[in-house]
Amino acid sequence: MANESTRVNAAGLFSGRGWHDQDHVPGIKSELLELNMGPQHPATHGVLRLLLQTDGEIVYKVTPVLGYLHRCAEKIAEGVNYKQWVVYTDRFDYLAPMCCNHAYVTAVEKLMGQEVPERAEHIRVAVSELSRIASHLIALATFGLDMGAWTPLLYCFREREEILNLLERISGGRMLYNYMIPGGVRYDVPNDNWVADVLDFVDLMEHNKLPEYNTLLTYNKIFIERTADVGIIDAATAVDYGCTGPVLRGSGVDFDCRRDDPYSVYHKFDWQVQVGRGEMGAVGDCWDRYIVRAREIEQSCRIIRQALQQLPEGSYQALALKAIVKVPAGAAYTRVESAKGELGHYIISDGGQTAFRNKVRSPSFCNLQVVEKVGVGQMVSDLVALVGSLDIVLGEIDR
Amino acid sequence: MEQNAIYELLAGALGDGALGYNEHALEPWADVAPAKVVEACRFLRDDPRLGFNQLMCLSALDWDGLDEAGKGKSTAILGYTDDGQPETSDRVGTGDLGVAYHLYSHALRHKFTLRLRVARDVAAVPTVSGVWTTAAWHEREAWDLMGITFTGHADLRRMLLDDAWVGHPLRKDYVMPDNWNGVPLQGQAYSANPFPVETGGPDQPAGDKPAEG
Repeated sequence: MANESTRVNAAGLFSGRGWHDQDHVPGIKSELLELNMGPQHPATHGVLRLLLQTDGEIVYKVTPVLGYLHRCAEKIAEGVNYKQWVVYTDRFDYLAPMCCNHAYVTAVEKLMGQEVPERAEHIRVAVSELSRIASHLIALATFGLDMGAWTPLLYCFREREEILNLLERISGGRMLYNYMIPGGVRYDVPNDNWVADVLDFVDLMEHNKLPEYNTLLTYNKIFIERTADVGIIDAATAVDYGCTGPVLRGSGVDFDCRRDDPYSVYHKFDWQVQVGRGEMGAVGDCWDRYIVRAREIEQSCRIIRQALQQLPEGSYQALALKAIVKVPAGAAYTRVESAKGELGHYIISDGGQTAFRNKVRSPSFCNLQVVEKVGVGQMVSDLVALVGSLDIVLGEIDR
Repeated sequence: MEQNAIYELLAGALGDGALGYNEHALEPWADVAPAKVVEACRFLRDDPRLGFNQLMCLSALDWDGLDEAGKGKSTAILGYTDDGQPETSDRVGTGDLGVAYHLYSHALRHKFTLRLRVARDVAAVPTVSGVWTTAAWHEREAWDLMGITFTGHADLRRMLLDDAWVGHPLRKDYVMPDNWNGVPLQGQAYSANPFPVETGGPDQPAGDKPAEG
């Protein structure tokens, strides 16, 4: 019920005066209400707890409470060797584990000065982008669900299932792959027509399924009413709060690690960075973040098509599979564009088989912080839209 | 801009607060004095030639066990003897703690790394959350896991661990407790139900047992 009068009152909170500051109706006491949203709540996308102070329907203060999924993976990284820790990166962003694998092996290879065969890089890019599509599909599906649209969830999960089948054929795992290793990938492309099947899938996705989502959800009047002009993150706030990925691009900042801080073989492909343009409301609203993800699916399809059509012959591993990875002493910060944003690894090596320190900069962790600012003054139902549009995954927030 | 040119600008602005520049590393970094870190960050953000508007990452570091040449052994305690004792339980950490700041400029597309070291018994660094707001959560995490106090931080609470947790796990001399509120943490079987049903509460008359199954 976000009508004009509540919007005006909500805006009034930014000046420091809430409804509870004054007696609107003489004799009726008004005070802030403490409300727990989560940790077991369908709209918090995992075990996130938001401690709200509400003034009626208006959010006065948001305090995210984290750590329900904490495993101290950075400590574990100091006790297992470089190859063994790839398994743990799968568990960060469990909706796009290939991107997390890619981030970690890129960091280790940079420290080692390890060359990676072209074929392996092409395979990595293809599976990372497939993972990104799968993650964005979940983002669209659950965001629609948060907004009250049930059907897109079923459609998006149907296509995600196809991606999981394809990734299972190349890696052996459906959800968690452990597929990339320093120096290459674990298995070559299977010879059961995998490449042709992926190309068929991206054609179907781009030309058939995305228009379907657009008619179902993107340009649905109710959906636009619920998301346009809601949860506006302006560009300066997004950068100041360290937002990255679709959240940053949704705010109109034209930045993507794949293009602007190139790694792997992304520079070889022709594709475009998508930014929010404020088509339905202000730049940086929930609809902009949604449409950036939807359009990135299309761009990922383009990248996959080029990566697999130009797939070079040759080796897919530079190091023997059983070789123990030794990394020379040194330190490096490496970042890649994962599905949620900039996934960074700061690895300090002491020359041994395990990392001396492995700090993970996870995009969801930084993106979530912005709700402390942008969530204030919203309706509670609009806060659900904001959190849904940030597309967080608690596995990498809590690590 | 080239990395050493950035350092020269920074050193010119900081004076004796700039402690050195590690040029030959894989990724060069500048060492700054902890007391001058806010000044350094403000300069790096606000100078139009530098324009570091994004703090990519803030990492807390524990240099304990690493010698001057960068050789050392990670002393994480993950292994336990057969009777369940941590393998290096009597270790006392002596090395410095540190913080690394990784910066990026969206306008000028360059990166820079700042590092600082602080003695273990001091373990306090001024906060940079006034320069980049994103540092507020990074610093809370650093306090939680590494035990570095960020002076001036508005809300320095535990972030990922429970509020009642003791110690800071990412320190090299951290010893994991053998249980937390009765929940064994070292892989032994449960000796008793860690969450016993309390009887005698207002909803439940004393002696009334919950129904089986």
